[in-house]
Amino acid sequence: MVVAGADIGTECVKAIVAGQGGKILGRGAVPTRGYFQDCYREAMGNALAEAQVQAGDLKAVCVTGFGASCAPSGSQTVTETICQARGAFHHLGKAMTLVDIGGRDPKIVRVDGRGGVVASRSARKCAVGIGTFLMFTSRHLDVHPTRLMDLATSAGAPAAVGSYCSVFAEAEVIELLRRGVPAGEIALGAMYSVADRIMEMDRLAAPVAVAGGVCEYFPGVVRALAERSGCAVEVVPEPIMTGALGAALSALESAPG
Amino acid sequence: MPTPPRQTPGASPAIEASARLKQIMADHFAAVGQAARERTAPVAWCTSVGPVELLRALGYQVFFPENHGAMLGASRMANETMAAAHALGYSPDICSYLTSDIGSYLLQKTPLARHGMSRAPRADLLLYSTNQCREVRDWFEFYGREWKVPVVGVTSFRDLDEVQPHHVDAIARQLEALVPALEAVAGRRLEASRLEEAVALSRTCSDLWRDCLHTAAARPAALTFFDGTIHMGPAVVLRGTAEACDYYRLLLAELQARVAAGVGAIPRERFRLYWEGMPVWGRLRDLARLFEQLQAGVVASTYCNSWVFDALDPRHPLPSMARASLEIFIARSEGPKQRYLERMVAEFQVDGVLFHDALTCPNNSNTRFGLPQRLRQALGVPVLTLDGDLNDLRCFSDEQARTNIEGFVEQLEGSVPQRPASVRA
Repeated sequence: MVVAGADIGTECVKAIVAGQGGKILGRGAVPTRGYFQDCYREAMGNALAEAQVQAGDLKAVCVTGFGASCAPSGSQTVTETICQARGAFHHLGKAMTLVDIGGRDPKIVRVDGRGGVVASRSARKCAVGIGTFLMFTSRHLDVHPTRLMDLATSAGAPAAVGSYCSVFAEAEVIELLRRGVPAGEIALGAMYSVADRIMEMDRLAAPVAVAGGVCEYFPGVVRALAERSGCAVEVVPEPIMTGALGAALSALESAPG
Repeated sequence: MPTPPRQTPGASPAIEASARLKQIMADHFAAVGQAARERTAPVAWCTSVGPVELLRALGYQVFFPENHGAMLGASRMANETMAAAHALGYSPDICSYLTSDIGSYLLQKTPLARHGMSRAPRADLLLYSTNQCREVRDWFEFYGREWKVPVVGVTSFRDLDEVQPHHVDAIARQLEALVPALEAVAGRRLEASRLEEAVALSRTCSDLWRDCLHTAAARPAALTFFDGTIHMGPAVVLRGTAEACDYYRLLLAELQARVAAGVGAIPRERFRLYWEGMPVWGRLRDLARLFEQLQAGVVASTYCNSWVFDALDPRHPLPSMARASLEIFIARSEGPKQRYLERMVAEFQVDGVLFHDALTCPNNSNTRFGLPQRLRQALGVPVLTLDGDLNDLRCFSDEQARTNIEGFVEQLEGSVPQRPASVRA
């Protein structure tokens, strides 16, 4: 049996084609731009191509994420919290505090020993846009987002970026640039700022795992989170795909036969 | 005989009493820390404008968590500690003194470390008055649950037009009803003479502190709002003690000598401003420097005057404590607040009024129901609202504040008749 899952996020649309037991057969990820429907088609097309199956072969499709409502009719919608928990549990197989850091609102999800969600908490409204904030920061520092981490690695200490509102934090970045603060320190400071926002949301109980696109592209955030929380932080394999994998696992559960 | 003060051109004179201030504040923290550690006296926490005289009369060592909140803000430790309280479910939108202090307790990070304490001293009892806000009760109840100790207090009236006898009676009865609980923890009976003495000392402290603040009515002002936020320490934490009175006698003598010698708190006072609302503790020094550069003295404030209690009367301890607690600015409606500000503008010859809208302290932010606009209309005095917070610096933009303040002073340059700078070289 072959199914698919997709995570239609604000920064990236991810799709996974999976077989029995959640074995990943194909994946696709494209940046979110223009209409969500187009991005979904492209990401799912890539995943199907890698898996070498046709859309008609899929027994079920589940979607999650900010743009889930834009998926084609016939697919089922599952919440991001459940998909992230399922995807992380599939890899790690244990109870955990899962921190999902994507483009929009970070979540702290308490996952039990069976992969179920015990409790979850999102950032408050004025602290959303964390991943997007890092993208803005890249633009102001004049580097491609994938280079932001390299830049941060060059810094000895993070610059202070304290605002919980992404828009205010962006204004802080501009002010730091005006003051001539080294770009590396600003890049690292932006990553510490993300970790600080996470720390304000809930108390992190070990073991702590992280998932989401921010962890994939900006490992400095993971390091900062470990430092701030005093906990060892484990990164879920292929963290950007965790939600899509969880959606595919949901599809497996719901598929007929 | 002390040397008469002289104004050094371009420099703000230091207040010599500061050395004594540091010592008595250190002694205060040492005493309350020792009492908590060695159980030499009962320890109570009290809200900053709460009924501390009852505690003094019963021999408590008293700790004021709002003072601790201000220390966390001024040291900028608050930026770190607040997050721990947020994670516990205390919203970033509520009082940042509360979140700073509870976070400090959770993380065991405190500026009190320099006084040998790893966290604020454990209380045997917590005593609040909601005359300033409801948050103080929620704040104290956190510790009541943590330490399993009594949390008692006064549920006060708020937004009062005029303080009426029935208001005073109601609060006085609540104060009286607190006594058995306070006696039980203290292990002693309340003696009338000791309460009268504590109220008398509070009143003297209040009078002396008001006189100190009033030296800023002189031109040039002998102290600024920024000086006041430091030197008000004893009026907050040592109210009802002889030490506080002694300190303010010392400070008053120095400030009066400045007035007599024509020495100003800032070198060239061109403009005189009023600060309405809470200080931005983490930016106190930066703002003081900015105003000094602009030759604008922030000569008076509601905040520093919050520890002036004219109603206290040792002949009628409880009713006068009740009246004093109700007459404070924060407990009043918009009408009395406006009249108070009008009096202050006249008394201190103020050229402009700064309103600080502190995001997490709506009770001390008087910008949200049109008061600045009404004051401007009534007096023709320019007003400026600064967005910020007492402790949460994420709510404060340095750049925006600077731009607004500089623009405001430019506006004053166009509207206030220029006087020669009051400096004696």
